[in-house]
Parts: sequence; C-alpha cells; structure tokens
Amino acid sequence: MNSFEWLKKLTDCDGTSGDETNAAAVAEAELKRFMPCGIDRMGNVVGSTGVAGQPILLDAHLDQIGLIVTAVDQTGFLKIAACGGADALVLAAAEVTVHGKENLPGVIVSTPPHLIGKDDKKNARKITELSVDIGMTKEEAEAKASAGDRITLRAPLKKMLKNRVCGASLDDRCGVLSILLCLEKLGDLVKELPLKVVFSANEETGGSGARVAAYTAGAREAIAVDVSFARAPGVKESVRAKLGKGTMIGFAPTLDHAMSKELQQIAEAEHIPFQFEVMSGRTGTNADDIATAGHGAKMALLSIPLRNMHTAGEVIDLGDVEATAALMAAYLKNKAVKHHA
Amino acid sequence: MLDRIKDLSALDGISGREDAVRSYLISSLPDFCTYSVDALGNLLVQVKGQTKAKNRVMLAAHMDEVGLIVTYITDDGLIRFTNVGGVETAVLLGRRVRVGEQGLIGVIGVVPIHLRRDEDELKFPEKDSLYIDVGADSAEELNGLVAPGDAVVFDSEPYAFGHCYKGKALDDRAGCAILLELIREQPAYDLTLAFTVQEEVGLRGAGCAAFTLDPDYAIVVETTTAADIAGAEGEKKVCQLGRGAVVPFMDRATVYSPKLFHRVQELAGEKGFLMQTKTMVAGGNDAGIIHKTAGGVPTVTVSFACRYLHSPCCVIHQDDIEQMRKAVEAIAGELANA
Repeated sequence: MNSFEWLKKLTDCDGTSGDETNAAAVAEAELKRFMPCGIDRMGNVVGSTGVAGQPILLDAHLDQIGLIVTAVDQTGFLKIAACGGADALVLAAAEVTVHGKENLPGVIVSTPPHLIGKDDKKNARKITELSVDIGMTKEEAEAKASAGDRITLRAPLKKMLKNRVCGASLDDRCGVLSILLCLEKLGDLVKELPLKVVFSANEETGGSGARVAAYTAGAREAIAVDVSFARAPGVKESVRAKLGKGTMIGFAPTLDHAMSKELQQIAEAEHIPFQFEVMSGRTGTNADDIATAGHGAKMALLSIPLRNMHTAGEVIDLGDVEATAALMAAYLKNKAVKHHA
Repeated sequence: MLDRIKDLSALDGISGREDAVRSYLISSLPDFCTYSVDALGNLLVQVKGQTKAKNRVMLAAHMDEVGLIVTYITDDGLIRFTNVGGVETAVLLGRRVRVGEQGLIGVIGVVPIHLRRDEDELKFPEKDSLYIDVGADSAEELNGLVAPGDAVVFDSEPYAFGHCYKGKALDDRAGCAILLELIREQPAYDLTLAFTVQEEVGLRGAGCAAFTLDPDYAIVVETTTAADIAGAEGEKKVCQLGRGAVVPFMDRATVYSPKLFHRVQELAGEKGFLMQTKTMVAGGNDAGIIHKTAGGVPTVTVSFACRYLHSPCCVIHQDDIEQMRKAVEAIAGELANA
C-alpha cells in the first residue's frame, strides 16, 4: 500500500474528539501489524512491543475537529456547537456527515441573499447561529439524530500536483501515518525495541487522551507527531515552514533540547529534509501533556507542515510525512544500537 | 430522473463555457428532435409532437453555472481568480475546486483560525486576497496546466440525503433535466426548447434564442432561492422545498402577466400539480430578457425551490421533481392551444 492509499484509509473514517471509535478501529488494525495493541478507557489506541527496558513513546492524535449537535429545532434542522477548534469562516453551505443512529449526509445552511444584512457581508455567523440541514422533518430528524452526535466535514482525500494531497482530518491522521511508516521502515527491529505507541483521543479538546496514555505507558522519553502551520499568503511572517521542505523539528523550553539537537544531527547525517520550528513556551500539542504526565518525560516534537488547518481543505505534502517517518526511524535505530551496547 | 440530474450536476460549464453541457444534451435528444446551435452557443431544439400546436411554445433552461475564472498565476504558483456570476466569499474559503481543462484539484486558501487576530475570528478576507492552491510552488510548474481565462468549478459530489438532493450547478441543470424528461417520449404537441448560455452573467443568451425561435409563449424552467431554513419566518422563506413548483407573479427582472399567473393557478387544480408562489419580489432569470424580445413574449417561470443557490451545495426536494415535470407539461399543453 502506498502512502496515499494508507492515508486514505486513515482519513475515510470519522473520529471527532471524544468519539474516536471508528477511527480507532481502523488505526488499531493498522498498528496490530507491528505490535500487540488495544483501546484504553480514554479511547486511545495503545500498543507496546513488550520489550524490557526504558520505554520510548511515540504519539500522534487520532481525533479530528468537528461539530456537535446541541438540539433538533422545530423545523428539523440541527443546532450545533464546535467540538474542538472548528472555524466558522469555512462552514456556509459546507458538506457534512452527521454521525447519528446512522451516518446522515447533510449541508450546513448559508444565508440567502435577501436575508444577508450589512454585517453578514463582512462577517461569518457564529457556529451556534448556524444549523445543519439533513433534509428531514422534525420527527424524522429526532428519530435519527440527537444532542451529542458528532458532525464531520465531508472531503475525501484527493491528490493535487506533485506530492500534495488535500482533505479533512489530515490534522493529525497524517501524524498517525508517519508513525506507521516509521514502524514499517524499522521492520524486524521493532520487536527488539522497548517501544510504545499511542494514537491519542481528545487532543483537539484539551489533550486528556495523551496525558493518560503517557502516564500508563510510563515512558521517560517520547516523540509526539502533529501538524503545524505552513507558509501561505496572509499568514504572519513568523510562520516559516514550507510545504515539501521536510519534517519540522521542534525547539522550545518545554521540549528536551538534547533530543531536539539529536534529531537535527541525525537528519543532517542521514540527509533527511527538515526545518526548524521554534516556540517560546508551550507547543499547543500533545507534547505539552505527555512531558508532564506522571513522573514526566523527555519530550521531542516533530511536525508536518499543513495549510488551511481545521478546514475541509487541509493540504500537506506526503514527502514531509515520509521525512518525519524516516527521522523517527533513524532516531530509534540509534537507540537500538545503544540498547544492545 | 435523479440520474439525469446527477449527470448534469457533474458536468462543468461556467457561463461562456457551456460546451460539455451542450454536448451531453445533444447526445440525449431523441429522434423526433432536430436542433441547431447559434452563434452564442444556445442549443435550439425543435420537438415534433404527436399533433401540430396552435401556438409556438418555447421552453427555456440555462446551461451555465456560477463559478470562478483564473485571472493570474503568481510567481510562487498560486492562482488568483474572480467570480463568474454571484458567488459569495462565504462559500469559498477552505473549499475544493477543479481548475482548467484537466480538472486539477485545488483548495481556496484561508488563514487558519489559530493565526487570525481575535477581532478577525469571523471576518471574511478581502475577495482579491483569495487564491487557489493546486500544489505548485512556482508559475513554471503550472506551464501548460493552468492559464488565465481557465474555468474553475466547485468540486462537490452530488448525493441524495433525507428527502433532498444536493449538488453543484442544480441552478439550472435541474431545469435542463426537466426539459429532457418532457421529451423522453414524443409530446402531445410540437414544442421548441432553448438551452441557453450566460444566464448567470446577465441573461445574455436567452434573448437571442427567443429572437430566433420567435415563440408565442415562453416557459422558463429554473431554480429559485428558498429560505425555508432554521430562523427564517413567514414571507422571508420566499418559497419552500417539497411544496411543489414555484410560479412567481413578479421578480426583480420580470412583471409576469396576471392573466397567465391566474391561469396557472387554476391549472394546478385542474391537472393536479402542486404549486406555490414566491412571497417576496426577489431574484430574476431569463424571463427578464425573453418577455421583451422582438414584439414581446408572454412568459411564465416555473422553478424548483432551491436552498443555498450559488454555492457548492444547491439543495432541492426529491418530491418536487415530479411536481415540476407535471407543472411544466400542463402549462406547455395549455399555452400550445391557448
């Protein structure tokens, strides 16, 4: 299976924060090819090679941003709220799936021209002022959907030019893919390493999944893989990373400097394309929670550059996913050498 | 019938670039039809009925859809564009489109919510700052793939949901589908059909079609904005999905003949089709030019109620399809012998 097809499999399933069941089932089946794994009480997919030694934890989050049904209104439309950092700017007349008693395709309403006020020309409506049209009467809608159901943006993964792809939920299924690709690269070496993997739940709603998984894993060293901002028109100058220019190695007060440096040295030695991502404090990823869970862990962060974060038009370069996987694999190979020494 | 609508929705044809739609329609015409294509690209069809009609009745539906057009390619391989027909920024941000002859998949970029200033959380960017990203990093990479003037359409998959059907370009491919359905079998009377161009950029095709066909009466088969959505009350809904064909007494381009309007209301009862009217004077369509062509053409508009018009997701009600067919057939029969 090539990277595109693998990523398609990982993104064709839904897993909005707190309701990752479907995405977890797919990710679990993929991880099982490399190590024994299961799903913990937080909804995380957790795997372990069971090899004795100081465990190293790899994390990528499983959940995606979405919407959540708050009520069925008297006309059969669904009232909604954000589940994670959904962006009201990209929702008018958007294609969605409501994960009710069954998967219900629908459309988010957009304001018709004669009802557009002066303010609507300039500003999007707040998410709580929007609703989802599922083409049903109130009674039908109530039988199929209810408060708490998750809603995802519909955008099956598609190829763009070169190595670029677009879709919803690339944040952070492409991180999940990078870990799977890393395990594939390691081959038989996986069975000799004290490796733990978590595909974590609830990152977009606070990071509770990774925190609990890190505690349970008892890891003293961890690498989180997430997506980060790529340069694009309109984004501030401080965003430097470019699509297709390699994995982003995080440097931050909250990350272990020696690990970051080691990753950089390996990337340079192995000619793996990389870029710097420098942050002044917290990283806004699972790295923040994993580093301080339980006794704490030395933490590194690798990020995959991405455009249009939290929309149905997220764009990445598969080359950057592969660079992330290659760097993690090279880092772990080094560990294996030390482990045997 | 849904298959027809699906086929037609999937075809790409922004205003002025209706070729693919026209080819599909021509290949769908049965033997008892003859056709011609005029200088503007209107497809004019003569339908031989079982009997000769007393009056020449022209049925019109427009082939074009709203979309975007490439204006410029930046040094770093991004595509600038402008809109063709009425397209709001609200339905463009973070959306997928298909660009140019090869249908390159692109995304309209948006500054992520995390990187916007608090006061810009809900603020739309300026229209001329928008761009399409197809995955290129330089203008050279787009050589031979994209050029200024290329058409851009929404990448939106048609599907049924609940009682409804969703797709791009249902305005007015749904109307085109109704006309094809009417001639699936030989109709009772002779008819003329006009599949028109450039409706969305100012009703530019239909006038010439009417001038050439010189009808006694015209019926414009269309889609019109329905605002029967959460939060809209009373007359502000304008019309509603599932309540049948929408026949207006007036819109912003045409004041319809009261005599014809009332006759259509009577016909609904006599022939048993469901109809409603628009509860606001809003919108406009090819009737605006057809009714004042040459010596004047009494015109009726019959529309699908359609939510989210001019977006990647136009939504119609499946039950309205049959009501539309019955309404157009009944009105055409009536006018043919009036």
